Amino acid sequence: MIALTTAAPAVGAAFVASLVEVVEAFTIVLAAGTLRGWRGAVAGTAAGLAALATIVVALGPLLDQVPLHLLQLVIGVLLLLFGMGWLRKAVLRAAGIIALHDENVAFAAETANLSDTTTPRGSGFHWLGAVMAFKAVLLEGLEVVFIVIAVGAGRGLLVPASLGALAASVVVLAIGAVVHRPLARVPENTLKFAVGVILCAFGVFWTGEGLGIAWPAGDLMILAFGAVFLIVGLGAVAVIRQPRGVFTQ
Amino acid sequence: MNILREVASGLLKMFVGDAWLTVGVLSVVSLTGLLTGSGAAPPLLGGAILFFGCIVVLVASVAVYGRRHRR
Repeated sequence: MIALTTAAPAVGAAFVASLVEVVEAFTIVLAAGTLRGWRGAVAGTAAGLAALATIVVALGPLLDQVPLHLLQLVIGVLLLLFGMGWLRKAVLRAAGIIALHDENVAFAAETANLSDTTTPRGSGFHWLGAVMAFKAVLLEGLEVVFIVIAVGAGRGLLVPASLGALAASVVVLAIGAVVHRPLARVPENTLKFAVGVILCAFGVFWTGEGLGIAWPAGDLMILAFGAVFLIVGLGAVAVIRQPRGVFTQ
Repeated sequence: MNILREVASGLLKMFVGDAWLTVGVLSVVSLTGLLTGSGAAPPLLGGAILFFGCIVVLVASVAVYGRRHRR
């Protein structure tokens, strides 16, 4: 039986991180479906999910074969790279150095891409929309799979982390099915900031464990690391902040 | 093949969004591993180097990008 206090951070991290990724995939699938017909978009989405499931089923059992310290080190380093990348970008966006990600703009860009092609519209099956949906689901889905493995594998929390990711997918699809437009009101940068902090904290903790460092206070150090990363991130935003409307890409 | 290439490129970008950040993180991890592995530093000192090294890399990466792209 897994304690709630142990599982909650993994479930929460997987949920919030997956929410960001699923919203991005949803925007592209929505653009593909709206412009090129839903048959292709749905088929592409299903193919993307099938490819993801194949990858997980094929590679998942291999995780059990890897020695725990090596697994923690590899995942810890990947988490640090991934999490610090997210946190860095979130800080730069919050400070107004680079533009915030806008799902409406992303939707318009994908729509423009699809509109430029010579494929005729209609109710038939459109490969372009299917391929676009497939790529979006596969790429964003791989990020979700990585996050689930990263926050769950080292502590035997793969199932709770998977449930967090699944819940995020259900929430986005349910809301998307109702509003039928890009989910632009999701505070994406705030979520990325939070997830970046969590992933960095997990990354330091697991990299250290993988290197044989026995952290004082055990798992509680993750909270301490997260608090410092949060303070440093917010401090960096305050120091480099510039007026809104002046961006570089 | 095009799709595979795009997926591979997307995966790479997941971990190597900014080259200097990546180099910085890998350097800190390698240094920590060397110091603790060789016994030159006790594990707890290694942990402190790892943690504060990551903080320094993050702050430096943000500060350098922010200074270069300020208008």
